[in-house]
Amino acid sequence: MSKFVFFGGKGGVGKTTVSSAYGLKCANAGLDTLVVSTDPAHSTSDVFDQQFGDEPAPVEGHDHLWAMEIDPDEEVQAHMQEIKRRMGDQVSPAIVSEIDRQIELAHQTPGAYEAALFDRFIEVMRSADDYDRVVFDTSPTGGTLRLLSLPDFLDQWIERLIDKRTQSIDLFEKAAIGEQEARKKVADDPIIAHLRERKEKFEFAAHTLESDAEFYLVLNPDELSIRETERAIAQLTDYGLAVDGLVLNRMTPAPDDDEDGRGARYLRDRVRTERERLDRIRETFDEPLVAVIETRVEEVRGALLADVAAELDIDVAAEPATQ
Amino acid sequence: MSESGLSLERRIAALRGWLHEWAHGLYHGMVEHPAFEKIEKEAEDVEDEFLFACFADAFGIPSPVSYYTVELLPYLAEEFEQFERRMWDRESLLERKGQQYHFH
Repeated sequence: MSKFVFFGGKGGVGKTTVSSAYGLKCANAGLDTLVVSTDPAHSTSDVFDQQFGDEPAPVEGHDHLWAMEIDPDEEVQAHMQEIKRRMGDQVSPAIVSEIDRQIELAHQTPGAYEAALFDRFIEVMRSADDYDRVVFDTSPTGGTLRLLSLPDFLDQWIERLIDKRTQSIDLFEKAAIGEQEARKKVADDPIIAHLRERKEKFEFAAHTLESDAEFYLVLNPDELSIRETERAIAQLTDYGLAVDGLVLNRMTPAPDDDEDGRGARYLRDRVRTERERLDRIRETFDEPLVAVIETRVEEVRGALLADVAAELDIDVAAEPATQ
Repeated sequence: MSESGLSLERRIAALRGWLHEWAHGLYHGMVEHPAFEKIEKEAEDVEDEFLFACFADAFGIPSPVSYYTVELLPYLAEEFEQFERRMWDRESLLERKGQQYHFH
Protein backbone atom coordinates (compact mmCIF):
# COMPACT_ATOMS: atom_id res chain seq x y z
CA MET A 1 0.00 0.00 0.00
CA SER A 2 1.33 3.39 -0.97
CA LYS A 3 1.82 6.25 1.44
CA PHE A 4 -0.19 8.78 -0.55
CA VAL A 5 -3.77 7.98 -1.48
CA PHE A 6 -5.89 10.23 -3.70
CA PHE A 7 -9.67 10.19 -4.00
CA GLY A 8 -11.14 11.91 -7.03
CA GLY A 9 -14.49 12.18 -8.78
CA LYS A 10 -16.93 14.86 -9.79
CA GLY A 11 -18.59 17.19 -7.32
CA GLY A 12 -21.13 15.73 -4.92
CA VAL A 13 -20.32 12.03 -5.33
CA GLY A 14 -19.06 11.78 -1.77
CA LYS A 15 -15.30 12.10 -2.04
CA THR A 16 -15.01 13.80 1.31
CA THR A 17 -17.04 11.10 3.05
CA VAL A 18 -15.04 8.32 1.44
CA SER A 19 -11.65 9.92 2.09
CA SER A 20 -12.53 10.73 5.69
CA ALA A 21 -13.80 7.18 6.20
CA TYR A 22 -10.66 5.73 4.68
CA GLY A 23 -8.54 8.04 6.84
CA LEU A 24 -10.39 6.82 9.90
CA LYS A 25 -9.94 3.21 8.85
CA CYS A 26 -6.18 3.73 8.54
CA ALA A 27 -6.04 5.52 11.89
CA ASN A 28 -8.01 2.73 13.57
CA ALA A 29 -5.48 0.27 12.17
CA GLY A 30 -2.81 2.19 14.06
CA LEU A 31 -1.39 4.22 11.17
CA ASP A 32 -0.66 7.89 11.77
CA THR A 33 -2.91 9.34 9.11
CA LEU A 34 -3.41 12.81 7.70
CA VAL A 35 -6.54 13.69 5.71
CA VAL A 36 -6.03 16.62 3.35
CA SER A 37 -9.17 18.27 2.05
CA THR A 38 -9.27 20.75 -0.81
CA ASP A 39 -12.96 20.97 -1.42
CA PRO A 40 -14.31 24.22 0.01
CA ALA A 41 -17.95 23.13 -0.43
CA HIS A 42 -18.26 20.04 1.70
CA SER A 43 -15.30 19.57 3.93
CA THR A 44 -13.72 17.44 6.58
CA SER A 45 -14.76 20.12 9.06
CA ASP A 46 -18.39 19.02 8.56
CA VAL A 47 -17.59 15.33 8.74
CA PHE A 48 -15.64 15.53 12.01
CA ASP A 49 -17.63 18.46 13.35
CA GLN A 50 -14.45 20.36 14.03
CA GLN A 51 -12.83 23.34 12.29
CA PHE A 52 -9.61 22.59 10.45
CA GLY A 53 -7.21 25.05 8.99
CA ASP A 54 -4.19 25.26 6.78
CA GLU A 55 -1.98 23.23 9.13
CA PRO A 56 -2.56 19.61 10.23
CA ALA A 57 -4.49 19.39 13.51
CA PRO A 58 -5.37 16.28 15.52
CA VAL A 59 -8.95 15.10 15.06
CA GLU A 60 -10.68 15.10 18.43
CA GLY A 61 -11.85 11.74 19.68
CA HIS A 62 -9.64 9.75 17.30
CA ASP A 63 -6.11 8.60 17.88
CA HIS A 64 -3.60 8.64 15.01
CA LEU A 65 -5.81 10.93 12.93
CA TRP A 66 -5.01 14.44 11.72
CA ALA A 67 -6.77 16.66 9.22
CA MET A 68 -6.14 19.87 7.31
CA GLU A 69 -8.03 21.97 4.79
CA ILE A 70 -6.47 23.77 1.88
CA ASP A 71 -8.35 26.70 0.42
CA PRO A 72 -7.11 27.15 -3.17
CA ASP A 73 -8.39 30.73 -3.37
CA GLU A 74 -6.43 31.66 -0.29
CA GLU A 75 -3.36 29.93 -1.68
CA VAL A 76 -3.59 31.94 -4.90
CA GLN A 77 -3.94 35.18 -2.93
CA ALA A 78 -1.02 34.34 -0.66
CA HIS A 79 1.16 33.49 -3.64
CA MET A 80 0.30 36.82 -5.26
CA GLN A 81 0.95 38.82 -2.08
CA GLU A 82 4.31 37.15 -1.64
CA ILE A 83 5.41 38.07 -5.16
CA LYS A 84 4.19 41.63 -4.75
CA ARG A 85 6.07 41.89 -1.48
CA ARG A 86 9.29 40.77 -3.14
CA MET A 87 8.60 43.24 -5.95
CA GLY A 88 8.47 46.05 -3.44
CA ASP A 89 11.85 45.00 -2.05
CA GLN A 90 13.67 44.77 -5.33
CA VAL A 91 12.04 46.95 -7.92
CA SER A 92 11.88 50.71 -8.27
CA PRO A 93 8.40 52.07 -7.52
CA ALA A 94 8.22 53.59 -11.02
CA ILE A 95 7.62 50.25 -12.74
CA VAL A 96 5.93 48.38 -9.91
CA SER A 97 2.45 49.36 -11.05
CA GLU A 98 3.17 48.24 -14.59
CA ILE A 99 4.38 44.86 -13.37
CA ASP A 100 1.54 44.56 -10.85
CA ARG A 101 -0.84 44.24 -13.75
CA GLN A 102 1.06 41.26 -15.08
CA ILE A 103 1.16 39.62 -11.65
CA GLU A 104 -2.58 39.96 -11.23
CA LEU A 105 -3.18 38.65 -14.74
CA ALA A 106 -1.14 35.54 -14.05
CA HIS A 107 -3.17 34.84 -10.92
CA GLN A 108 -6.45 35.06 -12.80
CA THR A 109 -5.58 32.53 -15.48
CA PRO A 110 -7.65 29.34 -15.40
CA GLY A 111 -4.69 27.28 -14.28
CA ALA A 112 -3.83 29.39 -11.25
CA TYR A 113 -6.23 27.51 -8.97
CA GLU A 114 -4.75 24.15 -9.93
CA ALA A 115 -1.21 25.37 -9.78
CA ALA A 116 -1.70 26.76 -6.28
CA LEU A 117 -3.28 23.52 -5.14
CA PHE A 118 -0.55 21.47 -6.71
CA ASP A 119 2.11 23.57 -5.01
CA ARG A 120 0.51 22.91 -1.67
CA PHE A 121 0.20 19.18 -2.40
CA ILE A 122 3.93 19.05 -3.07
CA GLU A 123 4.60 20.87 0.19
CA VAL A 124 2.39 18.44 2.12
CA MET A 125 4.03 15.44 0.47
CA ARG A 126 7.47 16.83 1.22
CA SER A 127 6.80 17.36 4.89
CA ALA A 128 4.84 14.15 5.49
CA ASP A 129 7.58 12.32 7.37
CA ASP A 130 5.48 12.23 10.54
CA TYR A 131 2.66 10.28 8.88
CA ASP A 132 2.31 6.73 7.69
CA ARG A 133 -0.47 7.63 5.32
CA VAL A 134 -1.71 10.83 3.71
CA VAL A 135 -5.20 10.83 2.17
CA PHE A 136 -6.00 13.54 -0.38
CA ASP A 137 -9.59 14.54 -0.92
CA THR A 138 -9.21 16.35 -4.23
CA SER A 139 -11.43 19.22 -5.31
CA PRO A 140 -14.13 18.52 -7.86
CA THR A 141 -12.77 20.56 -10.77
CA GLY A 142 -11.67 18.49 -13.71
CA GLY A 143 -8.38 20.29 -13.44
CA THR A 144 -7.41 18.37 -10.35
CA LEU A 145 -6.89 15.27 -12.40
CA ARG A 146 -4.83 17.17 -14.87
CA LEU A 147 -2.83 18.53 -12.04
CA LEU A 148 -1.47 15.14 -11.23
CA SER A 149 -0.11 14.84 -14.75
CA LEU A 150 1.56 18.22 -14.57
CA PRO A 151 4.97 17.39 -13.07
CA ASP A 152 6.40 15.80 -16.19
CA PHE A 153 5.04 18.48 -18.40
CA LEU A 154 6.17 21.35 -16.17
CA ASP A 155 9.52 19.75 -15.69
CA GLN A 156 10.18 19.72 -19.42
CA TRP A 157 8.96 23.27 -19.77
CA ILE A 158 11.22 24.55 -17.01
CA GLU A 159 14.10 22.63 -18.53
CA ARG A 160 13.58 24.53 -21.78
CA LEU A 161 13.37 27.85 -19.95
CA ILE A 162 16.66 27.16 -18.18
CA ASP A 163 18.28 26.32 -21.55
CA LYS A 164 17.05 29.53 -23.13
CA ARG A 165 18.13 31.64 -20.21
CA THR A 166 21.58 30.03 -20.14
CA GLN A 167 21.94 30.58 -23.86
CA SER A 168 21.05 34.26 -23.65
CA ILE A 169 23.39 34.88 -20.71
CA ASP A 170 26.16 33.05 -22.51
CA LEU A 171 25.70 35.40 -25.45
CA PHE A 172 25.75 38.42 -23.16
CA GLU A 173 29.03 37.17 -21.73
CA LYS A 174 30.50 36.81 -25.20
CA ALA A 175 29.29 40.27 -26.13
CA ALA A 176 31.21 41.86 -23.27
CA ILE A 177 34.18 43.50 -25.00
CA GLY A 178 37.62 43.06 -23.47
CA GLU A 179 37.80 44.12 -19.86
CA GLN A 180 34.20 45.28 -19.82
CA GLU A 181 31.93 43.49 -17.35
CA ALA A 182 29.30 41.22 -18.89
CA ARG A 183 25.74 42.44 -18.42
CA LYS A 184 24.74 39.08 -16.97
CA LYS A 185 26.48 35.96 -15.75
CA VAL A 186 25.27 32.37 -15.48
CA ALA A 187 26.89 31.70 -12.11
CA ASP A 188 24.98 34.31 -10.17
CA ASP A 189 21.75 34.49 -12.11
CA PRO A 190 18.82 34.42 -9.67
CA ILE A 191 16.44 33.37 -12.47
CA ILE A 192 18.30 30.16 -13.20
CA ALA A 193 18.59 29.45 -9.47
CA HIS A 194 14.86 29.95 -9.02
CA LEU A 195 13.97 27.79 -12.03
CA ARG A 196 16.26 25.02 -10.79
CA GLU A 197 14.52 25.07 -7.42
CA ARG A 198 11.15 24.75 -9.16
CA LYS A 199 12.41 21.93 -11.31
CA GLU A 200 13.55 20.03 -8.25
CA LYS A 201 10.08 20.34 -6.70
CA PHE A 202 8.39 19.01 -9.84
CA GLU A 203 10.84 16.15 -10.11
CA PHE A 204 10.08 15.22 -6.53
CA ALA A 205 6.34 15.33 -7.25
CA ALA A 206 6.63 13.26 -10.43
CA HIS A 207 8.71 10.66 -8.65
CA THR A 208 6.43 10.45 -5.61
CA LEU A 209 3.22 10.24 -7.65
CA GLU A 210 4.72 7.50 -9.74
CA SER A 211 6.24 5.38 -7.01
CA ASP A 212 4.33 6.02 -3.80
CA ALA A 213 0.77 7.05 -4.65
CA GLU A 214 -2.56 5.39 -5.39
CA PHE A 215 -5.65 6.81 -7.06
CA TYR A 216 -9.26 5.95 -6.42
CA LEU A 217 -12.29 7.38 -8.14
CA VAL A 218 -15.59 7.77 -6.33
CA LEU A 219 -18.78 7.46 -8.40
CA ASN A 220 -22.55 7.17 -7.94
CA PRO A 221 -24.86 4.63 -9.57
CA ASP A 222 -26.15 6.99 -12.25
CA GLU A 223 -25.40 7.28 -15.96
CA LEU A 224 -23.74 10.67 -15.76
CA SER A 225 -21.39 9.63 -13.01
CA ILE A 226 -20.45 6.40 -14.78
CA ARG A 227 -19.68 8.19 -18.04
CA GLU A 228 -17.74 10.85 -16.16
CA THR A 229 -15.67 8.14 -14.53
CA GLU A 230 -14.97 6.45 -17.86
CA ARG A 231 -13.69 9.75 -19.16
CA ALA A 232 -11.60 10.41 -16.06
CA ILE A 233 -9.96 6.99 -16.31
CA ALA A 234 -9.19 7.51 -20.00
CA GLN A 235 -7.67 10.88 -19.17
CA LEU A 236 -5.57 9.59 -16.31
CA THR A 237 -4.36 6.72 -18.48
CA ASP A 238 -3.36 9.27 -21.10
CA TYR A 239 -1.35 11.04 -18.45
CA GLY A 240 0.31 7.80 -17.50
CA LEU A 241 -1.44 7.38 -14.15
CA ALA A 242 -3.27 4.17 -13.32
CA VAL A 243 -6.50 4.18 -11.31
CA ASP A 244 -6.22 1.59 -8.56
CA GLY A 245 -9.89 1.19 -7.81
CA LEU A 246 -13.43 2.52 -7.82
CA VAL A 247 -15.72 3.34 -4.92
CA LEU A 248 -19.43 3.21 -5.67
CA ASN A 249 -21.22 5.51 -3.27
CA ARG A 250 -24.90 6.39 -2.65
CA MET A 251 -26.50 3.04 -3.45
CA THR A 252 -30.20 3.08 -2.64
CA PRO A 253 -31.13 0.72 0.22
CA ALA A 254 -33.80 -1.87 -0.60
CA PRO A 255 -37.11 -1.83 1.29
CA ASP A 256 -38.11 -4.78 3.44
CA ASP A 257 -39.86 -7.61 1.55
CA ASP A 258 -43.22 -7.19 3.30
CA GLU A 259 -43.48 -3.52 2.35
CA ASP A 260 -45.56 -2.74 -0.72
CA GLY A 261 -46.47 0.93 -0.55
CA ARG A 262 -45.80 3.46 -3.28
CA GLY A 263 -42.47 4.38 -1.65
CA ALA A 264 -41.41 0.76 -1.39
CA ARG A 265 -42.28 0.07 -5.07
CA TYR A 266 -40.30 3.15 -6.11
CA LEU A 267 -37.31 2.04 -4.05
CA ARG A 268 -37.51 -1.49 -5.45
CA ASP A 269 -37.46 -0.09 -9.02
CA ARG A 270 -34.55 2.07 -8.19
CA VAL A 271 -32.62 -0.67 -6.51
CA ARG A 272 -33.16 -2.85 -9.60
CA THR A 273 -31.74 -0.23 -11.98
CA GLU A 274 -28.84 0.43 -9.68
CA ARG A 275 -28.10 -3.31 -9.47
CA GLU A 276 -27.93 -3.38 -13.29
CA ARG A 277 -25.56 -0.47 -13.25
CA LEU A 278 -23.49 -2.08 -10.53
CA ASP A 279 -23.16 -5.24 -12.65
CA ARG A 280 -22.24 -3.14 -15.65
CA ILE A 281 -19.57 -1.33 -13.67
CA ARG A 282 -18.14 -4.67 -12.54
CA GLU A 283 -18.13 -5.92 -16.15
CA THR A 284 -16.95 -2.93 -18.11
CA PHE A 285 -14.33 -1.39 -15.87
CA ASP A 286 -10.93 -3.00 -15.57
CA GLU A 287 -10.39 -1.31 -12.23
CA PRO A 288 -11.58 -3.25 -9.17
CA LEU A 289 -14.64 -2.02 -7.32
CA VAL A 290 -13.26 -1.67 -3.81
CA ALA A 291 -16.42 -0.55 -2.05
CA VAL A 292 -20.18 -0.28 -2.54
CA ILE A 293 -21.66 2.12 -0.03
CA GLU A 294 -25.35 2.64 0.68
CA THR A 295 -26.94 6.03 1.04
CA ARG A 296 -27.38 7.12 4.63
CA VAL A 297 -30.40 9.03 5.78
CA GLU A 298 -28.26 11.62 7.45
CA GLU A 299 -25.01 13.31 6.55
CA VAL A 300 -22.20 10.88 7.20
CA ARG A 301 -20.41 11.99 10.31
CA GLY A 302 -19.51 10.74 13.76
CA ALA A 303 -20.43 7.10 14.35
CA LEU A 304 -21.80 6.69 10.79
CA LEU A 305 -18.31 7.34 9.49
CA ALA A 306 -17.00 4.24 11.22
CA ASP A 307 -19.73 2.18 9.49
CA VAL A 308 -18.71 3.54 6.12
CA ALA A 309 -15.08 2.92 6.95
CA ALA A 310 -15.89 -0.73 7.60
CA GLU A 311 -17.44 -1.00 4.13
CA LEU A 312 -14.29 0.17 2.40
CA ASP A 313 -12.34 -2.73 1.05
CA ILE A 314 -9.17 -0.80 0.49
CA ASP A 315 -6.09 -2.24 2.03
CA VAL A 316 -4.65 -0.22 4.89
CA ALA A 317 -1.67 -2.42 5.63
CA ALA A 318 1.60 -0.59 5.86
CA GLU A 319 4.45 -0.61 8.29
CA PRO A 320 3.59 1.81 11.08
CA ALA A 321 6.44 4.25 11.64
CA THR A 322 6.68 3.23 15.27
CA GLN A 323 7.72 -0.34 14.47
CA MET B 1 73.33 65.22 -30.14
CA SER B 2 72.29 62.80 -27.49
CA GLU B 3 69.37 65.09 -26.65
CA SER B 4 67.97 65.11 -30.18
CA GLY B 5 68.47 61.29 -30.30
CA LEU B 6 66.37 60.98 -27.18
CA SER B 7 63.66 63.22 -28.55
CA LEU B 8 63.63 61.28 -31.81
CA GLU B 9 63.12 58.07 -29.83
CA ARG B 10 60.37 59.75 -27.87
CA ARG B 11 58.74 60.98 -31.06
CA ILE B 12 58.87 57.51 -32.57
CA ALA B 13 57.35 56.06 -29.41
CA ALA B 14 54.59 58.66 -29.47
CA LEU B 15 53.96 57.95 -33.13
CA ARG B 16 53.77 54.21 -32.44
CA GLY B 17 51.41 54.84 -29.57
CA TRP B 18 49.17 56.99 -31.77
CA LEU B 19 49.31 54.46 -34.59
CA HIS B 20 48.40 51.64 -32.21
CA GLU B 21 45.48 53.55 -30.79
CA TRP B 22 44.32 54.51 -34.26
CA ALA B 23 44.62 50.98 -35.60
CA HIS B 24 42.80 49.61 -32.60
CA GLY B 25 40.11 52.19 -33.09
CA LEU B 26 39.78 51.24 -36.72
CA TYR B 27 39.69 47.54 -35.81
CA HIS B 28 37.21 48.19 -33.04
CA GLY B 29 34.95 50.27 -35.25
CA MET B 30 35.05 48.03 -38.32
CA VAL B 31 35.37 44.55 -36.87
CA GLU B 32 35.11 44.28 -33.12
CA HIS B 33 32.17 46.51 -32.38
CA PRO B 34 29.86 45.30 -35.18
CA ALA B 35 30.67 41.72 -34.26
CA PHE B 36 29.93 42.24 -30.59
CA GLU B 37 26.90 44.27 -31.46
CA LYS B 38 25.60 41.33 -33.46
CA ILE B 39 26.19 38.98 -30.56
CA GLU B 40 24.48 41.38 -28.19
CA LYS B 41 21.49 41.68 -30.52
CA GLU B 42 21.35 37.92 -30.71
CA ALA B 43 21.51 37.77 -26.92
CA GLU B 44 18.61 40.18 -26.71
CA ASP B 45 16.62 38.11 -29.20
CA VAL B 46 17.17 34.95 -27.19
CA GLU B 47 16.22 36.86 -24.07
CA ASP B 48 13.02 37.95 -25.76
CA GLU B 49 12.24 34.34 -26.58
CA PHE B 50 12.81 33.45 -22.96
CA LEU B 51 10.59 36.25 -21.71
CA PHE B 52 7.92 35.35 -24.22
CA ALA B 53 7.95 31.72 -23.11
CA CYS B 54 7.59 32.95 -19.53
CA PHE B 55 4.94 35.60 -20.03
CA ALA B 56 2.99 34.68 -23.13
CA ASP B 57 -0.22 35.48 -21.28
CA ALA B 58 0.73 39.17 -21.38
CA PHE B 59 -0.13 38.92 -25.08
CA GLY B 60 -3.32 36.99 -24.61
CA ILE B 61 -1.85 33.53 -25.05
CA PRO B 62 -2.77 31.43 -22.04
CA SER B 63 0.19 29.60 -20.59
CA PRO B 64 0.05 26.73 -18.12
CA VAL B 65 3.23 27.86 -16.44
CA SER B 66 2.48 31.56 -16.01
CA TYR B 67 1.52 30.99 -12.38
CA TYR B 68 5.04 29.74 -11.75
CA THR B 69 6.99 32.04 -14.04
CA VAL B 70 5.40 35.13 -12.52
CA GLU B 71 7.56 34.29 -9.51
CA LEU B 72 10.50 35.44 -11.61
CA LEU B 73 9.10 38.91 -12.18
CA PRO B 74 10.71 40.56 -9.14
CA TYR B 75 14.10 39.78 -10.70
CA LEU B 76 13.00 40.56 -14.22
CA ALA B 77 10.87 43.64 -13.72
CA GLU B 78 12.96 46.05 -15.77
CA GLU B 79 13.69 43.56 -18.52
CA PHE B 80 10.03 42.65 -18.65
CA GLU B 81 8.95 46.23 -19.02
CA GLN B 82 11.39 46.85 -21.88
CA PHE B 83 10.48 43.52 -23.43
CA GLU B 84 6.79 44.30 -23.38
CA ARG B 85 7.40 47.62 -25.10
CA ARG B 86 9.73 46.00 -27.63
CA MET B 87 7.19 43.31 -28.45
CA TRP B 88 4.37 45.74 -28.98
CA ASP B 89 6.57 48.05 -31.06
CA ARG B 90 8.46 45.51 -33.08
CA GLU B 91 7.64 45.91 -36.75
CA SER B 92 9.11 42.86 -38.41
CA LEU B 93 11.90 40.40 -38.08
CA LEU B 94 13.50 41.91 -41.20
CA GLU B 95 13.47 45.34 -39.65
CA ARG B 96 15.03 44.00 -36.46
CA LYS B 97 17.73 42.00 -38.25
CA GLY B 98 18.36 44.87 -40.68
CA GLN B 99 19.30 47.24 -37.86
CA GLN B 100 22.78 45.79 -37.59
CA TYR B 101 23.76 47.04 -41.09
CA HIS B 102 23.12 50.67 -40.13
CA PHE B 103 21.55 51.68 -43.43
CA HIS B 104 19.88 54.69 -41.91
